[in-house]
Amino acid sequence: MVSRRMYISLVILYGFLLGPFLIIFMASFGENSTMAFPPRGFTLDWFANVFETSQFIDSFWISLQLALLSTIVSLVMGMPVAYALTRFQFAWSGMVETVFSAPILVPGLVIGFAMLNFYVRLGDMHVMTGLFIGHTAILFPYSVRVISASLRNLDPYVEDAAVSLGANRLRGFVLVVLPNMQAGIAAAFVLGFITSFNNVPVSLFLSGPGVTTLPVSMLSYMEYYFDPTIAALSTLLVIFTILLVQSAERMLGLSQFV
Amino acid sequence: MPHLEIHNLTVSYEKNQPTLEWFNLDVEQGELVSLLGPSGCGKTTTLRSVAGFIQPDSGRIVINNRDYTSLPPNKRDIGLVFQSYALFPHMTVFYNVAFGLRMRRIPRKEVKARVASALKMVGLEAFAERRPAQLSGGQQQRVALARATVIEPQVLLLDEPLSNLDARLRVDMRQEIRRTQQQLGITTLYVTHDQVEAMSISDRVVVMNHGEIEQIGTPESIFAAPETVFVADFMGFDNRFSAAVLSARADKLTVDWGGAPIELRWHSKFGAPRRGARAEVFFRADNASLAAGPEASGLPGQVILHTFHGNEVQYLVETEVGEFSVMQDSANKRYEPGAAVTVQAQTQKWIAIIDETEQ
Repeated sequence: MVSRRMYISLVILYGFLLGPFLIIFMASFGENSTMAFPPRGFTLDWFANVFETSQFIDSFWISLQLALLSTIVSLVMGMPVAYALTRFQFAWSGMVETVFSAPILVPGLVIGFAMLNFYVRLGDMHVMTGLFIGHTAILFPYSVRVISASLRNLDPYVEDAAVSLGANRLRGFVLVVLPNMQAGIAAAFVLGFITSFNNVPVSLFLSGPGVTTLPVSMLSYMEYYFDPTIAALSTLLVIFTILLVQSAERMLGLSQFV
Repeated sequence: MPHLEIHNLTVSYEKNQPTLEWFNLDVEQGELVSLLGPSGCGKTTTLRSVAGFIQPDSGRIVINNRDYTSLPPNKRDIGLVFQSYALFPHMTVFYNVAFGLRMRRIPRKEVKARVASALKMVGLEAFAERRPAQLSGGQQQRVALARATVIEPQVLLLDEPLSNLDARLRVDMRQEIRRTQQQLGITTLYVTHDQVEAMSISDRVVVMNHGEIEQIGTPESIFAAPETVFVADFMGFDNRFSAAVLSARADKLTVDWGGAPIELRWHSKFGAPRRGARAEVFFRADNASLAAGPEASGLPGQVILHTFHGNEVQYLVETEVGEFSVMQDSANKRYEPGAAVTVQAQTQKWIAIIDETEQ
């Protein structure tokens, strides 16, 4: 009887998780001029409208560039920090770890607002630069965390083994540690990319005239229109994210055998 | 001329708290010497200093007449086997073993041949294409051994190599390490906390405690004649009691054992003790026997407990001198708890130690 009850709870849970998705998905094909469920008729007009709205296309490219750039930079910065935190016990190492994970704990709105204030004081800064710094800052702790996790699974003595066999420290790191960080780096990349791409609160404050990220421009579009274009765009984004995660999964799966 | 010389090695992690003090050891070419002691005794510190991972505060490490003290670890030509194996998880067994040779820029063809013969030596020829995760613990340790020896190092260092294996495998691997070491004639330092392991594998054993050497000797001499209370305890002398010295001669010490004098071999760091001084007497459970009743000659006592060990029965006997554990052949007469018995000493295998720390 317990298993039956669990089964029902599971269905309800998934219903709540996936139901809204399903509604958006179906609504994006409907002929109604406002969002409606159940939708009437079938049309791809709303999808066409997404690609005809330059606001979306422009902000998509900005989001993509921003996500790629800030993810890569946060990875490059996160690697040495993760390495140091997992390999050495130093004074304040616990403190350092807490400070580095602070951006996960502080609400995005607070970070965005604080950064906006900071930038205004700094004076003239390009909007894109501001967005890039903001996103890198929020991704950095994720990079550190995920890469640390992959390093903790690696026997710390493998480096000593490499050195005792004649490799210098750098070579030991490159030949022995780095290959074993690959999965962690790839996972941090996917996580970072999606986090940046979906981020609203920080981008909301740091966007400026002409430079807006996709989620922010979706938000502002919805303030004026309530047609299924947003539903169509959401459907496209879901598919894009699924493809990204899928291909990353496949790459990771393969990397264990190559 | 010893192959490996450690002179006055002193290492401290924290100021004024040396983990190793004035440590001296010479190891001959092809000799296997164990560093034996409880955790924190400085044995791993010694090993890592020889490997070059720890820079000593003072002292020198000389291998084959060359001063190694300030040489970085990757230039030392030392084979290292770790407790955790530390195999490279992303490389096949072949590339794990080949790593040291490739770092030395050995031609590809020679690498192939040497890796093959190293794998053959440890019986893993068929596993060259496997990854470490696909091997059992014993196989992984064999790969680690092949990887450390294939470079034909000056010195082989093994840091608790068997403690992650189960008991039966440990005995097999122990013999395999010894066989490989002798076959290659390689000078070896072996760190362990297991006295049985140290006894069975070594040419000489160094017993360490608190960063200092307690005793150096062959396994036989350390087993039979510990020189300090610590070594006697560590070497599995089950019984210990404190006795008054009656008289001391060069070869025998006469002490009081429940009113009767017994003559024992003895060791003292401080010369002959005076009459009435305390000596610590040690004996193993199988170096005493029981006789029925209190009338026989020996120390009268009462059986408290007996436990069956297969071929032998272990008795716990209470006497006026203390509680003693005595092993008897299980075919002999059994004594139930409460039975009155006499403990008879086989004093030729007992030992008396005069130790400053016990005075």
